[in-house]
Amino acid sequence: MDLYKLAFNNIRRRKMRSSLTMLGIIIGAATLMVLLGVTAGTTTAIKDETNSYMYDLAISPASTTGTLLMDTETVSQIRNMPQLYDFREVTLLSEEINGTRIFFEGTNIWKDVKIINGTEGVVINQAVADKFGYGIGSKIKVKDQELTVTGISKEVTALYVHINQDQAKQIAGNRVGAIYVQTNGDPKTVADEVEKQITGVSAVTKSDKVEEVQEMTNQALLFMGIIASMALLVGIISVINTMLISVMERTRELGVLKAIGFTNWEIKGSILFESGILGLIGGLIGVTLGIIGIIAIANVLNLEDYMVGMMPIWLVLGIIGGSTILSILAGLYPSMKASKLEVVEALRND
Amino acid sequence: MTKYVLEFEDVWKTYSMGDAEVNALAGLNLVLKEGSFTAVMGPSGSGKSTFLHVSGILDTPTRGLFRINGRQTSELSLKEQALLRRNEIGFVFQRFNLLSQLSALENVMLPMINKDSEKAMGVLDKMGLEDKYHKRPTQLSGGEQQRVAISRALINDPSLILADEPTGELDTENAQSIMQILQDLNRKAEVSIVVVTHNPASASFADRIINMRDGKILQ
Repeated sequence: MDLYKLAFNNIRRRKMRSSLTMLGIIIGAATLMVLLGVTAGTTTAIKDETNSYMYDLAISPASTTGTLLMDTETVSQIRNMPQLYDFREVTLLSEEINGTRIFFEGTNIWKDVKIINGTEGVVINQAVADKFGYGIGSKIKVKDQELTVTGISKEVTALYVHINQDQAKQIAGNRVGAIYVQTNGDPKTVADEVEKQITGVSAVTKSDKVEEVQEMTNQALLFMGIIASMALLVGIISVINTMLISVMERTRELGVLKAIGFTNWEIKGSILFESGILGLIGGLIGVTLGIIGIIAIANVLNLEDYMVGMMPIWLVLGIIGGSTILSILAGLYPSMKASKLEVVEALRND
Repeated sequence: MTKYVLEFEDVWKTYSMGDAEVNALAGLNLVLKEGSFTAVMGPSGSGKSTFLHVSGILDTPTRGLFRINGRQTSELSLKEQALLRRNEIGFVFQRFNLLSQLSALENVMLPMINKDSEKAMGVLDKMGLEDKYHKRPTQLSGGEQQRVAISRALINDPSLILADEPTGELDTENAQSIMQILQDLNRKAEVSIVVVTHNPASASFADRIINMRDGKILQ
């Protein structure tokens, strides 16, 4: 029986207190794992999507125009620019149905829609099906047109209906929301030329978009990290509290250990070991719960493909290591108090 | 040449109590020979507990010279003092001071550097506790707990055992038995023993009885 086994013994002996202390760390570690994991995973998803689907340039109405759609003349000007080729138009409309706003997105690339039931044409997503009780054959009114549902897609994140781009364009009065194009020459130079020659449009290059997404997700990651770290910090503070109480309660025991020849370093070491174990176990359980949470969230958000990316090894080891190291640091002050105990005073303690 | 286990030369221990200063030890001069069995008696506040604490390097003198087995303790680092306590001194306390969460055997093995359960069981056997290895202190009688505490004090083969009222919480029969064990240790194993006690019957087991009053030895 050495001091390290004694430390384990102390954790086991005070099960309720140890569990409550660990609970703080568990909640912090699990929150950190879920928030950072999901943010990291969705970042990868967005970047992949941006990289794989975006053309060299995305041309859309400039924010100063106050409209989300470009008229026929603007579209024709864009199409006539010799630096541009391989046009893909996208139109996004919205309509309020029974007080709820749903979006109609024009598409020509049906493979991205992930239809789980029915066929291409007018595909509602699962969220729309659940919300309005629609199914294949149901009628949906948008502007002055009535559409008949032909299929249901898997996505459930927002209320979306996918229709053919030509149909969307026609419903929108021959207007389009954005045009994706390839460029002859440097996309950045071409983007400047587009904005200079055509009034009221904004041209964003793929690299700008990726950078923008990257910056946005970095900020989200930082913000989430700070919030989750606060949760972990609260857990760590409870370690300080628990270890201080433990040192106070064990004053006599610590006095006996010193009297029978344990050095101050050994006493300090056992307290640090005990607090480190609380952090390690708390971190392990927290990360495990976090992983379970990530699996659940990935399933709900249809991000199964990015699930592994949500649990990077650096995050798992970082959280477990971080909670252990922070707990050891939390044990520093109590351990110093323990090592400075006067033996004679400690032995008199009841 | 006579060897001394404890040497006090004009040792003072002064405590501040508000504005007043109290001398728990007031110029103590004393030598105890190796292999001696000494009982220290005196009323409360006579300084006998402080004497024992200084002897066991649990407390430091305010001034004066104190040596244990010829080593001046004021010249030792805290770590060296701890190791000296571990290797050369065994403590027996009035309230046993066993760790309640550990078994008798684990309590005895606690101060061992090289954990040797055979040796620890051997010491417990000699104390008549061969069937109590795995009992917790709360499952043992007062006399048994004190015998476990003596086993713990002996486990690193110390040259000196310091006992602070070792029979204070025991009935007469158990008190006699504990003092007999200490006397046997002194006679057979030549371990130096210092016992602080109020009890004349316990003190009678010692070869030498020292009476203290006001931090000094009564002549």
